[in-house]
Amino acid sequence: MTRSWFAAAAFVTCVAASACRQADAARAARADSSMLAQRETRLERSLSQPDTAAQDSTADRKAIGRWIMPQNLDELSGIALTHDGRLLAQGDEKAQISEIDYRRGIVTKQFVVGHPTVKADLEAITVAKGLVYLLASNGTLYEFREGANGERVDYTTHDTRLGKECEFEGLAFDSTLNSLLLACKHVGTKHLKDDMVIYRWKLDESGSRLSRLTVPLKDIATPIGEKHFHPSDITIDPFTGDYVLIAGIEKAMVEITPDGRVVFARKLPGDHDQPESVAITKDSILIIGDEAKRRPAVLTLYRWP
Amino acid sequence: MSLSFKRAIDTVALGSDRPIRRLLAYYLILGGIFAALLYFFPIVGQIASGERLEELTQAPQVLQDGLTSGAFQSQAAKLPSSVQLALTTTLCIVATLLLMLPVTWVYMSARRTKRHNQAVVETLIMLPIVVAGIILIVRNSLALAFSLAGVVAAVRFRNTLRDTRDTVFIFLAIAIGFAAGVQAITVGAIASVIFNLVLLFLWRTDFGRNALVTTANAQQWAEPLKLLAEGNGQGNGNGNGKGDVAVHDHDIVLALSPQKVEALAARFDRVRRIAGRKKPRFNALLSFMTEEPALVQPILEETLGRFTKRWILDEVVSTEGKPTELSYLVKLRKSMPGDALMSEIRSVVGSKLTGCDIELSEALEEQEAEATAKASG
Repeated sequence: MTRSWFAAAAFVTCVAASACRQADAARAARADSSMLAQRETRLERSLSQPDTAAQDSTADRKAIGRWIMPQNLDELSGIALTHDGRLLAQGDEKAQISEIDYRRGIVTKQFVVGHPTVKADLEAITVAKGLVYLLASNGTLYEFREGANGERVDYTTHDTRLGKECEFEGLAFDSTLNSLLLACKHVGTKHLKDDMVIYRWKLDESGSRLSRLTVPLKDIATPIGEKHFHPSDITIDPFTGDYVLIAGIEKAMVEITPDGRVVFARKLPGDHDQPESVAITKDSILIIGDEAKRRPAVLTLYRWP
Repeated sequence: MSLSFKRAIDTVALGSDRPIRRLLAYYLILGGIFAALLYFFPIVGQIASGERLEELTQAPQVLQDGLTSGAFQSQAAKLPSSVQLALTTTLCIVATLLLMLPVTWVYMSARRTKRHNQAVVETLIMLPIVVAGIILIVRNSLALAFSLAGVVAAVRFRNTLRDTRDTVFIFLAIAIGFAAGVQAITVGAIASVIFNLVLLFLWRTDFGRNALVTTANAQQWAEPLKLLAEGNGQGNGNGNGKGDVAVHDHDIVLALSPQKVEALAARFDRVRRIAGRKKPRFNALLSFMTEEPALVQPILEETLGRFTKRWILDEVVSTEGKPTELSYLVKLRKSMPGDALMSEIRSVVGSKLTGCDIELSEALEEQEAEATAKASG
């Protein structure tokens, strides 16, 4: 083959590959948008059907959606909803926040906190008054604004000085009390070892910032047939304002009123490897996030209530 | 393949032998190939994305549906990522190799001492590949990093490098390996390009030399050496004839060390003193090349004694792997002109002589020219 023939063949190959690549990209984009529309339709249909298990507190509800997380969210440890209903998710070791469209199963945005990126034992996330908060297990709070896709945002830290009292796992925002709720997984104080403890940390600095809510463990553990209840996340029920907590070890869920009365305590529906995060949306969806263990990390969607 | 690549470099470098041009041509071609691969196979971009540094994926990213696919129940869902990992690793290592090649070329070429260490050249190629592999394995795992430190401590591969510059090259190899390992090959590429160009510049300009030592490039020898390099010498006694022989690599001439220039200068002066006077003791310089100097020298000297007025051995130059050069200053007899003398010597010595040359002094040349003109007129 002469040199000119070789050059011509290379040129034709390049043009053909270029055309195929563009066609592939367009086809993939069409397929994606069609698939996402189907997912949304399926979710709407599931939500509109009458819920036969609604009245049965122990019923094993069927999931209406399940999204497998990418590898960078294998250690999914917290999820939170913004005021306009967008879901933020965060991993365990690095402050890398992902925004997930939970209705269609798509990561729409990612940003990181700090330069260099904050690395800590991050356990929970919540949104309060337009700011995002991350909670480390030693009680340190990281406060920052929500970033754009690919952005790196600055942060400020608040030390609650509760590191010795508690190993924290859950964080939520109670707007009526203007306080962050810090759920305690392992209590360090002896006289509180028979209680489930939630600390409230007021966002305004007037008066004492810290207060404590305790619920006797027997009120929660007995109905689920366990001896303990180790909360791994906390969220607010947008319809009642009650606190909903899940426990990864016991694979259970409890709802309590803001003054500490137990509304219900039951096992989690479905099959969960390691439930670490929970959120309830205004469109009646309970979202439970599992960290990767035997299987990849997942977000599972159920009807709520 | 390598020939066509060399041809491509020749084309881009406009046929130039200058190292900087050829180096830039190499990087341009490499950049072009990378851009084309990136366009047709976007996965190639992973090695330059710095993904391992930050591990931010590009949004939006469609998540796998755990309700409809069986992947939720099966570890086989991770298979594509293993293939991807293998591909990325291969690309990283190949990129490392391609970036280290020009570094080794520069290492072998741009140096002032005659020899380089072949082991260092091989290390420069292999080390970044190993480093990249290790970084890819260790990833962000503290446990693996500690394990690696333990293993390295057990292996012991300490070595003292003779030349400080070698150490710098080793550091560069490690840096490129790291860059490839964290999939930030752009950093490695930029480091490689700038390192090579800076090093060539330093070598070319003899940067950092002792200011009191004259160099071939800068001082009184710049002009004659340039003429010698370009083949325009005016018979300055260098034994190469009258400006008709170009030295092929004029960079070599211009890069002569001060000591070598001084040696050459001493010889030029000696020849000029002897052969360039108004009534010179000698009027020709004869050069003979032979593989057997011990055998040829007595024959030559006997012949010179018979056919010249006087002669003296001016210089013997022995170079490993090349014929020995014997230079004689002679005073020719009128009855035996230069050409006749050379013919006589060739016939006497025979095939043991691999080359010979004669350079006449200016006065003798003028006489011979006049004689030739008279004979023809």
